[in-house]
Amino acid sequence: MNFLTWGTDPWGQEVLIRISWDLLYVASALGILFVGAHAVWLAFFVKEEAQPIDEAALAGVPEKVARHSLASRVFHWVMAASMLALLLTGFLPVIGIQFPWVTIHWVAGVVLTLSVVYHTIHATFWLGLSAMLVGPKDISDATSRFKRSVGQDAPAPRKHGKYPLENRLYHHVITLTGGLVIVTGILMMFRIDTPLWARDPYIFTDPTWGMIYVVHGLSAVSLVTLVIAHVYFGIRPEKRWITWSMILGWIDRRHYVEHHDPEQWAARSEGSSGQR
Amino acid sequence: MAVIRDMMSAFELFQPANVEDAAALLREHGEQAWVMAGGLDSFDWFKDRVKRPSVVVDLGGIDALKGIESTADGLEIGAMTPLTDIVRHPDIRERYGLLQQAAELVASPQIRNQGTIGGNNSQDTRCWYYRDGWTCYRAGGNICYADTPTSMNREHAIFGADRCVAVNPSDTAPALIALDAQMVVQTAGGERVMDAADYFIGPSIDITRMTVLEPGDLLAAVRIPSTWAGATFYFEKVRDRQVWDFPLVNVATALRVSGSTIEDARVVVNGVAPYPMRLTAVEGALRGGSRDEATAERAGELAVRGARALRHNGYKIPLMRNLVKRSIRAEA
Amino acid sequence: MADIEITEAADPGVSRRNFIKGVIAAGAAVGSANYMFRGAGSIFAQPTSPGAVERLITITVNGQQRRVDVMRQETLATTLRYKLGLTGTKIGCDRSECGACTVLIDEVPHYSCSILTHSVRGRSVRTIEGLAAEDGTLHPVQQAIVNEQGFQCAFCMSGYVMAAVGYLQDNPNPSRADLAHGLSGNLCRCADYNKILNTMEQAAENMRQA
Ligand SMILES: Cc1cc2nc3c(=O)[nH]c(=O)nc-3n(C[C@H](O)[C@H](O)[C@H](O)COP(=O)(O)OP(=O)(O)OC[C@H]3O[C@@H](n4cnc5c(N)ncnc54)[C@H](O)[C@@H]3O)c2cc1C
Ligand code: HEM
Ligand code: SF4
Ligand code: FES
Ligand code: FES
Repeated sequence: MNFLTWGTDPWGQEVLIRISWDLLYVASALGILFVGAHAVWLAFFVKEEAQPIDEAALAGVPEKVARHSLASRVFHWVMAASMLALLLTGFLPVIGIQFPWVTIHWVAGVVLTLSVVYHTIHATFWLGLSAMLVGPKDISDATSRFKRSVGQDAPAPRKHGKYPLENRLYHHVITLTGGLVIVTGILMMFRIDTPLWARDPYIFTDPTWGMIYVVHGLSAVSLVTLVIAHVYFGIRPEKRWITWSMILGWIDRRHYVEHHDPEQWAARSEGSSGQR
Repeated sequence: MAVIRDMMSAFELFQPANVEDAAALLREHGEQAWVMAGGLDSFDWFKDRVKRPSVVVDLGGIDALKGIESTADGLEIGAMTPLTDIVRHPDIRERYGLLQQAAELVASPQIRNQGTIGGNNSQDTRCWYYRDGWTCYRAGGNICYADTPTSMNREHAIFGADRCVAVNPSDTAPALIALDAQMVVQTAGGERVMDAADYFIGPSIDITRMTVLEPGDLLAAVRIPSTWAGATFYFEKVRDRQVWDFPLVNVATALRVSGSTIEDARVVVNGVAPYPMRLTAVEGALRGGSRDEATAERAGELAVRGARALRHNGYKIPLMRNLVKRSIRAEA
Repeated sequence: MADIEITEAADPGVSRRNFIKGVIAAGAAVGSANYMFRGAGSIFAQPTSPGAVERLITITVNGQQRRVDVMRQETLATTLRYKLGLTGTKIGCDRSECGACTVLIDEVPHYSCSILTHSVRGRSVRTIEGLAAEDGTLHPVQQAIVNEQGFQCAFCMSGYVMAAVGYLQDNPNPSRADLAHGLSGNLCRCADYNKILNTMEQAAENMRQA
């Protein structure tokens, strides 16, 4: 197995070209292993303690708790579609399914970039970044949650804010890999012919380009693993209500009361103004 | 210019006597193996040490792949048939003169004596950045050296480029496509017969290959149906020197004319795209038209619609337009 | 095709992969068999692959059978000049672009720099050294050159002669234009083309009379 692919530059020197596509198989295997391991873990090792729902608390909560605004949902699915298109166009040719991929790829890349730019502005100025922050309390909560799940003693953790810790961490990893793939992808558009700007592969030196391709490739294969994991959680039965909320925009009050902490995420009624 | 070394790097050589053995060897050695026909394209790669296969399978000893035979509907030419044999074959001269003209304009007499029809259609591009061993897209890299603000790309593509802007250099390929020929390919999964046009692929599909052949595949024969036998043919090749040189642009046209009406047409151009380009739009416009100056003019204009020149190959647009035009205009 | 490392001194008939396969397949058996039967190493013997070539071969050059040790990647020009001492054949470009190395293979002109010696086994090679008769009488084409003095430095000459002999055997009555076309696979660095064509017209005449 190789990690990197090397070539020869015009001066006869070894130059980095890209990652080795062996890593694609490693990343896919990791994703599948993770899914398998997690499923086995949940099925056989986790002793779920049934959390009694505080019926009284239900009363004060609207029937449909707004979770994702239409704008957020549209963003999510546009991003998902472009990501899927990028993954397929990027990797199908690598595994031997050949078709004219480059144009679809960069157009999907531009769509992803625009949607991410939109999301960044929307999230920063309208949604606020606080729902995504990770603090020390989150870590101790996570530790206790883990201990309790395997039957050890630990103080009861807080319930989740709008997003459970895992979601927030996942989001940060995606932000990093997605950010890298976007930045490098935009630069790589100087290597191909697009109507956006004139092709000029000499804006960087060959070794710099090599690094850009390696970063694009590494982030891209990481996204394979991440997307496998994400889709897996999205379709797990006990998490479907979260997936539905990304389609419908709301969660029902039982889920809200069962999983979420009003201190960290105050419930608003679906359809009310100020919905985010 | 490439550095000239004394000797090719070492390889194992196999000279099987039949197609089955050749196929078995190719299967056994997979990506390590190089198919060699006349070797005239191959040796350049080996001598420059740009391609260094560890195994070479020489098809020269397989008699079954040589020779031209009449079939129920036309001709079958073995892939290992030298171009000279094609030029001299009476039936080809008489009924498929387009191929004869094309083959006779290839390279030089000695090369035609040894270069095969299979090799001529399977040869790699002549882009010198690539030939010189730079790791460009076509060599598995991530850059095209021929399409930068400073590249020398006078010989490169005006159509069909996708990152790689190299052209297919074959003279016989456009003639075969114009004659509606079919390629018979031996693959691990058995024999595949395809239209000659589908034998060639562009960089948008696979940037490292010029043809559909994958490691282990063999081109066994070319079949020419009688569809265009005896039609009105026109082949013209423009090159810098009158011998040896690859086409800057060539055109192969077959017309079926009745009176002054063009009943059907095939127009194929090479040297302008990474694959020989059949001009179906031009053919459509010609069908039913009268064979005159105005039609020829229109065909020329139509032919170059959508062409995009690089820095140094703008001349190919009028060249291609005029070649197409001349190929349709009635001979003076 | 992948740019792969060369295997210097490749082994005839036994590919590395085959060998490894053999080792794996035979692995368990050999482990114990070697103890019990001395010489069980014959398990490693591989059947020769179809089409594998020997290094020591016999080729026919100028009517003689010549036994010669030839590398697989060796060109005919190299063998002729450096193994058989037939230095009348010149190497100009080594890239099928000049014609200096032209020889006849089965009476057809080929660039000897661009054909493997292994590819001419069983065929007959004729070089400039094989043109004159036993008694020293020059070939009609050679005689024409002596008469017309058609070359300057003459580095290209032997290639031209061989190309002309091959061409004139096929077409004994060429026009000057035909000759130019027939000999277009040879370059003359001294650009002596006019005189070369004069010479070859005379050569054609000589051949018709011979
Ligand atoms: C100096 C020079 C000038 C030339 N000028 C011209 C020109 O003007 N016009 C033109 O059209 N050509 C030209 N050529 C190209 C020449 O005609 C081709 O190199 C030749 O036809 C290739 O044929 P070959 O039999 O020698 O192929 P090889 O070199 O043996 O093979 C070429 C390629 O095709 C593959 N291949 C060959 N046969 C098969 C098969 N049966 N199945 C699968 N793969 C196969 C080989 O693996 C290799 O990659 C020129 C070549 C030289 C060296
Ligand atoms: C999920 C996200 C993405 C994945 C999985 C992905 C994957 C890939 C892969 C595998 C390649 C081939 C690289 C190589 O040959 O070394 C590639 C090339 C490319 N990508 Fe992406 N990519 C993604 C996002 C983007 C984005 C956002 C853009 C642009 C905005 C982009 C633009 C490009 C371009 C222009 C190339 C072609 C470069 C070339 O062939 O030289 N990609 N991508
Ligand atoms: S045109 Fe194609 S072959 Fe030539 S340098 Fe560009 S990518 Fe390579
Ligand atoms: S040396 Fe062989 S053609 Fe030049
Ligand atoms: S006479 Fe000098 S090269 Fe021809």
